[in-house]
Amino acid sequence: MSGWGTSSRTVTLGRVQPQSPALRTIYCNHREANFAHRYKGNSISTTKYNVFTFLPKGLYEQVILLEFYRTETGIWLCDSLGISYDNFLLFRRVANLYFLMVSILSATPYSPVHPITNMVPLSLVLLFSLIKEAFEDWVSITLHAYCSIPFLPLACALIDFLILSLFLVWEQRFQNDMTINNTLVDVLQAQGWESLQWKKLQVGDIIRVKQDGFFPADLLLLASTNVDGVCYIETANLDGETNLKIRKALERTWDYVTPEKACEFKGLQCYSAECINSSTKIVVKVCEVQCEQPNNSLYTFTGNLVVDNQTMPLSPNQILLRGCSLKNTDYIVGTVIFTGHETKVMMNSMNVPSKRSTLERKLDKLILALFSTLFSMCLLGAIGSGIFIDRKYYYLGLSQSVEDQFNPSKRFLVIILTMLTLLTLYSTIIPISLYVSIETIKFIQSSQFINKDLNMYHAESNTPASARTSNLNEELGQVEYIFSDKTGTLTRNLMEFFKCSIGGEMYGTGMTEIEMGVAERKGIKVQEAKTSTNSLREKGFNFDDVRLMQGAWRHEPNHDACKEYFRCLAICHTVLPEGEETPEKIRYQAASPDEAALVLAAKNFGFFFYRRTPTMIYVRESHVEKMGKTQDVSYEILNVLEFNSTRKRQSVVCRYPDGRLVLYCKGADTVIYERLGAGNDDLNKVTRVHLEQFGSAGLRTLCLAYRDLAPDLYESWNEKFITAKSSLRDREKRLDEVAELIEKELILIGATAIEDKLQEGVPNCIQTLSRAGIKIWVLTGDKIETAINIAYACNLLNNEMKQFIISSETDAIREVEERGDQTEIARFMKEEVKKQLKQFLDEAPQYFCSPSGPKLALVIDGKCLMYALEPSLRIMLLTLSLNCSSVVCCRVSPLQKAQVTSLVKKGARKITLSIGDGANDVSMIQAAHIGIGISGLEGMQAVMASDFAIAQFRFLEDLLLVHGRWSYIRLCKVVMYFFYKNLAFTLTQFWFTFGTGFSGQRFYDDWFQSLYNVIFTALPVVIVGLFDQDISSSLSKKYPELYKEGVRNMFFNRRIVAIWACFAVYQSLVFFYFVSLSSSTSRDSDGKMFGLWDVSTMAFTCVVVTVNLRLLMMCNSITRWHYISVGGSIIVWFVFIFVYSGIMTRFDRNDNMFWVIYVLMSTSYFYVTLLLVPVAALLGDFLYLGVQRWFFPYDYQIVQESHKDDADSINTPDSQETKEHLTPDEARSNAISQLPKEVSKHSGFAFDSPGYESFFATQFGKYVPPKAWDVARRASMKSKSKPK
Amino acid sequence: MSSSTPSSSAGGVGSADSAAPRRNSKRPKYSKFTQQELPACKPILTPRWVISAFMLVSIVFIPIGLVSLFASRDVVEIIDRYETACVPDGYKNDKVKKRMKKPIYVYYQLDNFYQNHRRYVKSRSDSQLKENSSWDDVSSCKPEDMSNGQPIVPCGLIAWSLFNDTYSFSLKSQQLAVNKKGISWKSDRDSKFGKDVFPKNFQNGTLKGGATLDPSIPLSEQEDLIVWMRTAALPTFRKLYGKIEQDLQPNDQILVTLDNNYNTYSFNGKKKLVLSTTSWLGGKNDFLGIAYLTVGGMCFFLALSFTVVYLIKPRRLGDPSYLSWNRNPGGH
Repeated sequence: MSGWGTSSRTVTLGRVQPQSPALRTIYCNHREANFAHRYKGNSISTTKYNVFTFLPKGLYEQVILLEFYRTETGIWLCDSLGISYDNFLLFRRVANLYFLMVSILSATPYSPVHPITNMVPLSLVLLFSLIKEAFEDWVSITLHAYCSIPFLPLACALIDFLILSLFLVWEQRFQNDMTINNTLVDVLQAQGWESLQWKKLQVGDIIRVKQDGFFPADLLLLASTNVDGVCYIETANLDGETNLKIRKALERTWDYVTPEKACEFKGLQCYSAECINSSTKIVVKVCEVQCEQPNNSLYTFTGNLVVDNQTMPLSPNQILLRGCSLKNTDYIVGTVIFTGHETKVMMNSMNVPSKRSTLERKLDKLILALFSTLFSMCLLGAIGSGIFIDRKYYYLGLSQSVEDQFNPSKRFLVIILTMLTLLTLYSTIIPISLYVSIETIKFIQSSQFINKDLNMYHAESNTPASARTSNLNEELGQVEYIFSDKTGTLTRNLMEFFKCSIGGEMYGTGMTEIEMGVAERKGIKVQEAKTSTNSLREKGFNFDDVRLMQGAWRHEPNHDACKEYFRCLAICHTVLPEGEETPEKIRYQAASPDEAALVLAAKNFGFFFYRRTPTMIYVRESHVEKMGKTQDVSYEILNVLEFNSTRKRQSVVCRYPDGRLVLYCKGADTVIYERLGAGNDDLNKVTRVHLEQFGSAGLRTLCLAYRDLAPDLYESWNEKFITAKSSLRDREKRLDEVAELIEKELILIGATAIEDKLQEGVPNCIQTLSRAGIKIWVLTGDKIETAINIAYACNLLNNEMKQFIISSETDAIREVEERGDQTEIARFMKEEVKKQLKQFLDEAPQYFCSPSGPKLALVIDGKCLMYALEPSLRIMLLTLSLNCSSVVCCRVSPLQKAQVTSLVKKGARKITLSIGDGANDVSMIQAAHIGIGISGLEGMQAVMASDFAIAQFRFLEDLLLVHGRWSYIRLCKVVMYFFYKNLAFTLTQFWFTFGTGFSGQRFYDDWFQSLYNVIFTALPVVIVGLFDQDISSSLSKKYPELYKEGVRNMFFNRRIVAIWACFAVYQSLVFFYFVSLSSSTSRDSDGKMFGLWDVSTMAFTCVVVTVNLRLLMMCNSITRWHYISVGGSIIVWFVFIFVYSGIMTRFDRNDNMFWVIYVLMSTSYFYVTLLLVPVAALLGDFLYLGVQRWFFPYDYQIVQESHKDDADSINTPDSQETKEHLTPDEARSNAISQLPKEVSKHSGFAFDSPGYESFFATQFGKYVPPKAWDVARRASMKSKSKPK
Repeated sequence: MSSSTPSSSAGGVGSADSAAPRRNSKRPKYSKFTQQELPACKPILTPRWVISAFMLVSIVFIPIGLVSLFASRDVVEIIDRYETACVPDGYKNDKVKKRMKKPIYVYYQLDNFYQNHRRYVKSRSDSQLKENSSWDDVSSCKPEDMSNGQPIVPCGLIAWSLFNDTYSFSLKSQQLAVNKKGISWKSDRDSKFGKDVFPKNFQNGTLKGGATLDPSIPLSEQEDLIVWMRTAALPTFRKLYGKIEQDLQPNDQILVTLDNNYNTYSFNGKKKLVLSTTSWLGGKNDFLGIAYLTVGGMCFFLALSFTVVYLIKPRRLGDPSYLSWNRNPGGH
């Protein structure tokens, strides 16, 4: 569990939780003493609201800046730490607050409009927000329970239905919580166990949990019925891991199993006489637990148990977390430490990082611009009113007892009050329903489209994609940098023996992903693979060649070399066999998966290593001469010269049963070739070529060599070895020196090639993403060689690239390091890094400027990165790395991953995405704009911290290129349309103000104005936000370059806003002046004249029709929902006005509107105008669209055009194509032979050593056995852990 | 991604589902909605479409424009500004240029009169106008709500400032009858102004704003008031005064006797007397016709110029060389 130790650091990065430094002191089994601390109770509520608090609390949250202070502090805190914080709610609340103010204002006499005008939309929007909140509150649970909500968009209209369901929902959630809170648990009271409800548990209580029971709170394990105080727990609820974990009580408390004994365990401050008196009956021990304050780190715990003034340290090993369950143990006894919402799991569940998208932040700016427009409009109107107002207009009755706002003698006051008046009048310029519409759209996008995309469903792990936040959908369409973890994300962490070179002959017929990619690019058709001859191929062995398999190697000309090769594989390693000693059932425990793969290979070739004792290795060899016969051979292991990162090799000295002494060695080609004996140049040369071929195919290679030792030579060497081994100082160094003496004059046998198996489709996906202009950085904890190797395998690096490598593994640095002076090392390394950065920066332009020059790549390791990230060098690093098309950072710590991410995020202001699968990626995931977790694996840490969870790296293609792009385009359209429709509408009102003596008279009826945003123009834009598709999903993936439009933010920038604003102004002028000018004479053959309300109704009808038609004009695809919603909106308007003007009520001032529409519709003028105005208004837009498309087409428009005929048939061939690279295993074939052999100067040496696994572990004070020999001891842990 | 993306047919979906283990599968159910494969028409604004849309608009609009313009031109209108003369009892001679068919509508037109001022518009009591029972509902009528301690009926600034110029016409020294019935909208007469509401305490204040009303006639029959109370949208407006139910011949000389009572001098308002016939599209107003013709003409012109551009410099649709990454490879 190497990664777990990082989580505490992650937390500090993510959301800072205020922690009082004080310790929590808990007096066990002593309610009175604990009572003073007022710990929280154990009852929980998972709903944000409940039936009683929903309305007040929800309204309050929506409108009032509930957490203003806290958020403000939070923003500051997080900003200083480089974490974005969610102030979306804040802004939405500001907007709502504004509308509340306007509504209040409109209830004053200064308002030209009835309060209803602003109240109705506000309350509708609030109602809708509340329903949505409740719905999400509910869905967030049921979503995972696979609940489908068909036709969610319709739900917008079915508010009634929702209100009904709302209560059902709460009922259900509430019930759930109630059931949990009321579960019974045994609590120690007086002398025995008594059942008590969970919610009544208190900190300090001693409780008993039986087998299969869940822990009601975070407990300190005191005793268990198992011997050794051990219990087993299942943590599936916490991290998704289903294997059992062991917890062990402190020895001191093992015997508190019975209530009688446990009663002794009482936390008393036995200083008062009273205390002593009450405890005369039994022996009372002073017992208290001192521990950290509640926090959300699942894998850390610090505290002490104090019994009888004896302090014992506690570790996570004694902690049982709420949510876990007890297995394989009759019962345990524990004391409650954290309760209810203070338990670690509950504190974690609150910790979903919420981020805001860049688009939304830009939207805020737009809203601010609208506010300033509003302000200037009001100011203009107000000044006008101050000038206009005059007693000469006697019919306005301004001469006597005039209220202030029209009093000509108080012009300044008039201006101020008219400001307020106009503010309420023009309030529609701020789209009130914008935020709720956007949220609804995004929610449906993420819950219905992303979560249910079959293209992102991974059948093998049965995992669909899951959007854990709906805030960032459109951010996915603008990603420019991807930071990827390696293990588990790019690779499967599965090493497979793939090819080999024995005695100058290359074996193995498989094709790696990268070779297939090369083949595809060169147009060579990859043939369907023939069914594998070794049908029982194992995990870890993916080798196929008839010349070697099933004993056929005996007939090879170099069968002696083969034998030597296989023996070397079977003997030279530090693997432990486990389980039954048959080839089928045995399992190998290896410190590195490479080693396991090699031993496995030997087994498959007929050299079955089945038993190891400290001195012997037993191998069941298939008989050299006779097929089908086996003989058990035992080799005596005399010495093991272990692997480490400087030696880069590993040797074993063994004695054959016949007394032959051999040294087998395997290691990196560089170190082996240095130590080869003379002669055999041909073999060495051929093998070197093979190594390079393996390297360019992305395989990890090792060279195998041996040396026959003369007994006397060995004996003398062995003496030195033993002295070195027993030396107390510099043992490692001396051992290395001694090894050096014998590891020479080696004879090369051959080379192995292991495939660090990539996840499906990774190279292709990376290729596509880089065509989309996305730069991919690999941040890995692996060694530099492994990282480079994978970068080659993923197409991130190739030999045409100019590589800049900044590594700490240089001789100069090593030399300084050996001197051991820490400050000197730091200074020297910083100098070195600075020197290199400078040099590369000077070099870079000459490559970068020439268009045909090589692309640049930067490889940097963690130690150097530490110095390069210092403020003085940071800028240089950033400039250099931004010029590189790929960057590989290796041996980086989780914190550095986050630092690199925020370097690009903050320094370059680019949109970043981090993807990873393990706990060590959490910080990076939270630091980036978008965090993506790989789901479907065991650990859930990354997923818990992520914004989106997908099962495979290749799904990024769908997520970014399809969903992200669409969401971005849709959201842009929605925002721009909102902007336009409100501006156009409000401006008609503004023009009217000029004709009313700036009095602030409303042009439209109150209800028109209030329903305009929420009814007459609300639904169609939501439909566009959901359904608009410029090009189909398959085309989006076929033309990844289209993605750049989003990265460059081409659909939501100043130019676009200005264009929309121009058309809004133009249209509003058309609306107002066309209608008002044309109605200046009688518009009816009866000669009667129209009044104000006839004209305004006419204008409003034109606005509604035009604005809805404009929506249709901007659609790229028009479904029936578009027709229904657009047509529906227009029809709703007419139905509304028919009813509204047809009835006469005593309320409101709608008498003015009485019969207006009928009067209007009785004239021919109505129809003539209704045809003219929308066409005239849309003429400009249409012309713009036509010209834009014709002369300045967007890329997507070209693609649309070139595929307009095959729009429907495109799916079929494409899905086949996808299917093909879906199952690459089957698609593998002999086509490699057709490939032009690429020779690489890079031969990918990589060998995971146990040492590196402890690299981070030691940093965080974790104990990880440094020697491969210890593997057996942690066998039980092994299955859970994953080397990072 | 396990099976091929389900095509539009539902059958394929079923088989794919049954292949996967039903139990516990988190495989999302296929629906056109969630897979975003709803059938949609995907219009592309090709040059052809642009040109034909412009052509269509011009074909439809130019005739309508012509018809509207002709209708407007058919209307005979005599406008006469009269407040300049500044005579209390003025005589005006108007010459009829074209034959005017009956009915001839008589309007008065006021300029720079803000009937749409906020203070003015709301200074009325609709309930008082409608029902006798709420005769004292004058809360919204300030400052013309009460006079001598009694509520005014009809109250408010609008009613108070009722236009009070009168006109009488004579042709060849023969009085022309002006019909003042049916000059208001029927819905106003029937529903907004009560049959049982009579003017009361009206224009009794110190300051007279305008016309007085006959207290014996119910408001529903006070059509001048009803017309006046339907406030105008713009500061320049016409209101119907009456109808002359007689044809007028060209060169007929009409003598107008007018009472120039209404005070527009204080705010430089203009008063005009308008005699007009109507067409199917109402009174004389070239705006609609011209607007139609302009839009139609512009569309025609645009259609032509687009066609010319299309012929001279066509852009091949969907030409990949226009794609930005093909235009300047290397850069972005």
